[in-house]
Amino acid sequence: SIDMLMPSDKEEDPDVIPEDSSLLTLRIRKKALERREETIIVDRACRQETLAYEMESHAIGKRPDDPGDLVEEGELLLTLNIFYPVIFQKHKDHKPYQTVLVLGSQKLTELRDSISCVSDLQIGGEFSSQPDQAPEHISKDLYKSAFFYFEGIFYNDKRYPECRDLSRTIIEWSESHDRGYGNLQSVKMEDYTFNDLSLKIGFPYLFCHQGNCEHIVIVTDIRIIHHDDCLDRNLYPLLIKKHWLCTRKCFVCKMYTARWVTNKDRLAPEDPCFFCDVCFRMLHYDEEGNKLGEFLAYPYVDPGIFN
Amino acid sequence: MSSVPGLQADCEELLGAFQEADTVRFERFAELWRERRFHTIFYGRIRALERNKLTKKTLELAQQYFLPPYAFQIRVGALYLLYGLYSTQLCQPKQKIRIALKDWPEIQKFQQDLIDSQHYDAAYIFRTLRLARAFHFTAMPKLLNYRTKKKIQENEFKEEFKDPSNRVNSLITNDVLEELMNIHDHYQKMKCLISADKSQPDKALSLIKDEFVVTLKDITLEHQEWQQNRMKLFLNAKETDEISNKREEGPLLESEGSERANALARIKYRSYSAVVEASKSRRHRQVKLESSESGSNYGKSPSRSKKPSRRPQPARRGDSLEIKGEMQVAKETVTRHIGMPIITEEEN
Repeated sequence: SIDMLMPSDKEEDPDVIPEDSSLLTLRIRKKALERREETIIVDRACRQETLAYEMESHAIGKRPDDPGDLVEEGELLLTLNIFYPVIFQKHKDHKPYQTVLVLGSQKLTELRDSISCVSDLQIGGEFSSQPDQAPEHISKDLYKSAFFYFEGIFYNDKRYPECRDLSRTIIEWSESHDRGYGNLQSVKMEDYTFNDLSLKIGFPYLFCHQGNCEHIVIVTDIRIIHHDDCLDRNLYPLLIKKHWLCTRKCFVCKMYTARWVTNKDRLAPEDPCFFCDVCFRMLHYDEEGNKLGEFLAYPYVDPGIFN
Repeated sequence: MSSVPGLQADCEELLGAFQEADTVRFERFAELWRERRFHTIFYGRIRALERNKLTKKTLELAQQYFLPPYAFQIRVGALYLLYGLYSTQLCQPKQKIRIALKDWPEIQKFQQDLIDSQHYDAAYIFRTLRLARAFHFTAMPKLLNYRTKKKIQENEFKEEFKDPSNRVNSLITNDVLEELMNIHDHYQKMKCLISADKSQPDKALSLIKDEFVVTLKDITLEHQEWQQNRMKLFLNAKETDEISNKREEGPLLESEGSERANALARIKYRSYSAVVEASKSRRHRQVKLESSESGSNYGKSPSRSKKPSRRPQPARRGDSLEIKGEMQVAKETVTRHIGMPIITEEEN
């Protein structure tokens, strides 16, 4: 019976705060805006803000080409915060995390595959004598085991034969003495979807891979899928927020991201010292590729590589 | 979540004005909205990311008023406010209103109430929001995020918006009083039967006050009126703090800013309450409202409307209750706090 009586009749510019507003909110905002105008020379979105906004909204409203991939009504959407394992001093107060959206009907393994952690790309071994052989086996291929820990149950990734049950150690430890932990069970990750789990919102859970790389996982929100959400099943788990980490640059050129780190290097001013690929070879090897001087060199993967 | 500065004040101001208008019609709300040009609350050169966050916080704040324990009128106001904010937001695609699963039965009950009492405009607005897919059905009402705050902000919402506590009224309803009366009569008869003198009970058997049921009812009525007056005074908070207790008979508690006394008064009043008077005293207010509204008032127990007539008043005996003086105070309503009467023991 009654409809929109709200909006004004004349054209208004939403950027301009009306002069004579009776709203306290606007008066405060106006003061803040004026202060901003005085102090900031160029007022536009920085890269990080653009990235954050893009990530949040890039998938909104997407529909799949193949109708078989359409997310069904009544599907649950979970929002998970997965924290980075890096521990920098500056992260003392706010630990960086990435936010992922998952569907209730997705398997745990799909989430495991979507988590990109820098430790997966680590290459073990000292390669000063054979720098060209370095990027051979990244850790992700070598150590495939991983587990999730939700509510007293360990979900182990058992898809490949080389996957071990990492949680066995923990379960044996807790059973050896009466440490006050209830029954800890171990099951296969690939058999379970998120709908099968019972979760607490805001409670920290664990994702562990590579044997000792641990990520805290927190569920921040569970809601029913909405018309305006991304309904393409292939895009889930969907990353909507990522922490921007500054990459370490090469010590020499200060331009490229570091790919090598050296220890006990007579040619380097500090220990450890970071180099990009080009500078590393130029400094440490002659035209024939002989090693100059004594040093230990390791391939380095910077945590900010996912930016 | 850190809140938007000034937003709570603005919303409460608007809802307060709506409450004073004492109606639940959308036209009235729209007038108030247009007066304040509330849709400009999203203005001010905000970039997209910030705007999303801001709108989310705004909707979350408004949504809190939509749920109990707020008074019915406030909840309808909150519904209109949500509708207004949702429609006039500048975000594209629109930010949604989060409702927790546990709150849905409440809201559905609320909607049913609206339809039953023929507030069709409010029901229509709610339906429009549903059709526009304005709601997110979530597990928890507040979206979590992790910031270490120096102190946890306690959101204190205005007390006027809250429904006056009905626990007393729900305890001593008409049915309860009626049953008490019956039992009392029965008891008296039993006492008569076993006494020597058949017409009245033995003196030795008189262990309770004979008139206690009627007294109970009266005291409940007083509490009722006191509560209403207190609400009125609360709304006209500009009154000076005059104390006219000196004129009172009987000891009345000092009402000068002593919270404890007030709390004590409230607690003691809670042990006496009645339901009967409500409809009569509310009748004059009902007339002002739209004819489409039903007779019962929301927030008060439904049994109220069943007994419009007062029970016959006993002759006021000065020695049994000191309420008489208090009644005068209630009518004069000069003080901010109304003291409570002391009930003297009835000497047999």
